[in-house]
Amino acid sequence: MEVKYLKDWETEMNTCIRCAYCFEGCPMFKEKGWESDTPRGKVVLAYGLFTGQLEPSDYIAEKILECTFCRDCIQRCSANISVPDILTAARADLVEAGFKYDSHVNLLNKVESSGNIFGKELKAPPHPGKTPVLLGCRFLERSDDAKRYVEILTKLGMEPMTVEDEVCCGMPPGVLGYKDKTNKQKALFRERFPYNEFICMCTTCVFFIRKSYTDLNPTYIIEEIYKRLPEANPRQLGLTVTYHDPCNVGRGMDMVKEPRKILKMIGCDYVEMETFGKEAECCGGGGGVLVTDRELSEKLARKRYRQALDTGAKILVTLCPTCELNLANMAKEDGNKIEVKNLLDLIWEALR
Amino acid sequence: MDLSSLRGIVGEDNVRDNVAELYVYGADASVHQGLPGLVVKPHSIEQVSQIMAYANSQKIPVIARGAGSGMSGHAVPMDTKSIILDMKAMNRILEIKPDDMYCRVEAGVVDDDLNRALKPYGITYPPSPASSRIATIGGEIANNASGLRSVKYGATREYVLGMRLVLANGDIIKLGAKTRVEAAGYQIHRLIVGSEGTLGIVVEATLKCVPIPKYRCLSVATFDQLEKAGDTIGAIIASGAEPSMLELMDDIAIKAVNKTLNMDLPEVEALIFFEADGKVKEAVDHEINSMRLIVEQHGGTVTATSYDLKERTKIFGGRKKLFAALSRYKDGWACTSLADDMAVPYTQMAATARKIHQIADKYGLIMTAYGHCGSGVMHTKILMDPSKKESWDAAKKAVDEIYDFVDEVGGITSGEHGIALSKAPSWKKTHGDMLPVMTKIKFALDPNNILNPGKLQDAPDDWLTATKIRYQML
Ligand SMILES: Cc1cc2nc3c(=O)[nH]c(=O)nc-3n(C[C@H](O)[C@H](O)[C@H](O)COP(=O)(O)OP(=O)(O)OC[C@H]3O[C@@H](n4cnc5c(N)ncnc54)[C@H](O)[C@@H]3O)c2cc1C
Ligand code: SF4
Ligand code: SF4
Repeated sequence: MEVKYLKDWETEMNTCIRCAYCFEGCPMFKEKGWESDTPRGKVVLAYGLFTGQLEPSDYIAEKILECTFCRDCIQRCSANISVPDILTAARADLVEAGFKYDSHVNLLNKVESSGNIFGKELKAPPHPGKTPVLLGCRFLERSDDAKRYVEILTKLGMEPMTVEDEVCCGMPPGVLGYKDKTNKQKALFRERFPYNEFICMCTTCVFFIRKSYTDLNPTYIIEEIYKRLPEANPRQLGLTVTYHDPCNVGRGMDMVKEPRKILKMIGCDYVEMETFGKEAECCGGGGGVLVTDRELSEKLARKRYRQALDTGAKILVTLCPTCELNLANMAKEDGNKIEVKNLLDLIWEALR
Repeated sequence: MDLSSLRGIVGEDNVRDNVAELYVYGADASVHQGLPGLVVKPHSIEQVSQIMAYANSQKIPVIARGAGSGMSGHAVPMDTKSIILDMKAMNRILEIKPDDMYCRVEAGVVDDDLNRALKPYGITYPPSPASSRIATIGGEIANNASGLRSVKYGATREYVLGMRLVLANGDIIKLGAKTRVEAAGYQIHRLIVGSEGTLGIVVEATLKCVPIPKYRCLSVATFDQLEKAGDTIGAIIASGAEPSMLELMDDIAIKAVNKTLNMDLPEVEALIFFEADGKVKEAVDHEINSMRLIVEQHGGTVTATSYDLKERTKIFGGRKKLFAALSRYKDGWACTSLADDMAVPYTQMAATARKIHQIADKYGLIMTAYGHCGSGVMHTKILMDPSKKESWDAAKKAVDEIYDFVDEVGGITSGEHGIALSKAPSWKKTHGDMLPVMTKIKFALDPNNILNPGKLQDAPDDWLTATKIRYQML
């Protein structure tokens, strides 16, 4: 197999001392239990592909795709290896070698035909203003919610401006390893959303954009809210909730205290789950796993949902729309014993 | 190999023979890479027993495997027919007896998980290696692991009161006792500790526990000369002081941490971390003060002391992050587990560190010396460009010369990581008279030589060609 992309990661793969420290918190390993389910195992597989000691196979592709990019391994690593980056390169090489899967191709066709992951014609709710706001596909589809979330910024003294024709930022093809499609989508995104500085509503988009567009400087909506909320004198909601740290927020952007402080600002008490903050378990929705293997993704979500339920809180708050969806599905399956809400909803309640 | 027999024992889902999976199980934290024939995951003692009986009848090698964190190729198979026995699913804590100060666990229990479970009872299982977050009790027993605090708490062997062992032929035997002392026979369980999976499969262990100390105080001291630090270590131990940790870091280790992690450790020739712990604060104060005095008498300067956990974590931060620092010390160079571990008498610590530096310079390698010097343990790593054949040839010579020196000064090839493959040639060279006895013991317990064959006394004489090397050489 030609290894166009993994080649760039040779040094990193050699830097891995294969210590296994990354086993400790990996949700895939906890769920499946074989060493190919561990971060180290996946890096060893990538190295095998790189050196040609392993021939690519569906088995390897499956293992390389079974990673939620939760970044738990990075924080535990002896050598600061970014396993998700190595796996992204391995995915790209596997795609070029012809390991393409229907679920991925269908999703990417939707992105290509409609500009969003739903394959539907979706427009951002119009809102004239000065500061561009990127909604991201998932909030684009929840247009009523998105309208309210944009209004939060107005209430905080900003002049947010939506861009009706915004399209997908390129995260799905990027994460799944479709390099050409990623580049094409990124170019289209730049054309439709021609701003370098903007506010981004979606956790996953902001994280992807910061990592893969060198010239863009998005602000995550929560950063802006965190700064401005104290001045806005929000209403005290008097709720008790539990908070799920989305991987990209807690581990990815190092924002553990901000969402919690916001909860306090709006008069909410929070009860922590068994794992929280940087140690929070992943909901199973990231890294494309929700598309690759929904059942597996839901198994992880179910575990996280159980942790939330065990706190006794009646409301489970989070930020990432994919976490929200995955956890809400679990709550629904369990008779809605807990209500899953986006923190933005609570903020809106406190400001309206 | 008859796959259906094994599937019949452990169930379809607990057997893997996909080559990619096998390749992953052919690696550990060493420089070696092998390829087994099968991975099997038992969930009970009976399953282990049946697997062994089957493997013995077919003369198929079996390698027990915990986390695969061994640094010398312990769990790397030498034969492509080998069965890897992944013990990680046997991870139940069976008994915690705080009043009798012991616990009983399955072999796949992870050390930190055990200590988390013991904590509410106010007790701990103390030999914990640095890898305790992932290392299994079975792997620790097989390697006689020890850790930062071995100077006070000792190594695994001192804590294994008894065990259940599956022999090569599948027989299940009970060894040892649940009491602190015993004088009943050969104490075979103590022989199993450190046997690196070559004499039997540990399936269950009864482990001695100790109370969690209430107070812990850590200090760090700088030395402008490595030799002064070396003398201090010996003097502390000889004084009868009871450190719970006594750790050395040389100038290369200090530079590595400062350079790669932007830390600001003082760039002196050596740092010594010394710690005391206990139930009574005055007693801990006394220990720390007596060690401080010795440090100062030997020309060291104590730069920080704290009881506070946060502070202690900060003081120890540089040592804790040493692995990360070494692995990124030089672009394109890898941090390899070679000559990673040895133990020398206290008076030889400084000379050994100096010798390591000299040998590294001679061969164009980078090596540092650090370790649990309170127990005589010295660690290092060989940093080199792994893509060049010459680097490996140089590393081989360096490993030889280092261990020759260690032997000359009365030291031993491994203090805590074990021998397996990459340390075997040096160890065999210096411990030749022990080998025939070991071979007889091995034959008595494993006549078909199926338990982790090709390791320890049976390891090849050249570690570089013993298996494939994990790195791609040009
Ligand atoms: C970063 C790092 C730091 C480390 N720090 C330390 C340290 O401070 N101190 C220390 O002592 N070691 C240390 N080690 C080495 C290693 O972690 C220990 O030797 C550990 O005990 C190995 O446990 P494991 O579960 O990974 O065993 P494995 O590596 O899987 O196996 C090790 C050996 O044990 C045998 N084995 C495993 N399970 C069983 C069983 N149930 N029955 C019989 N044999 C079995 C295997 O066949 C093999 O020979 C470190 C390693 C790394 C990578
Ligand atoms: S990113 Fe998360 S799921 Fe992926 S290998 Fe690392 S710990 Fe496992
Ligand atoms: S923790 Fe880091 S260095 Fe260790 S095996 Fe995992 S990826 Fe490699």
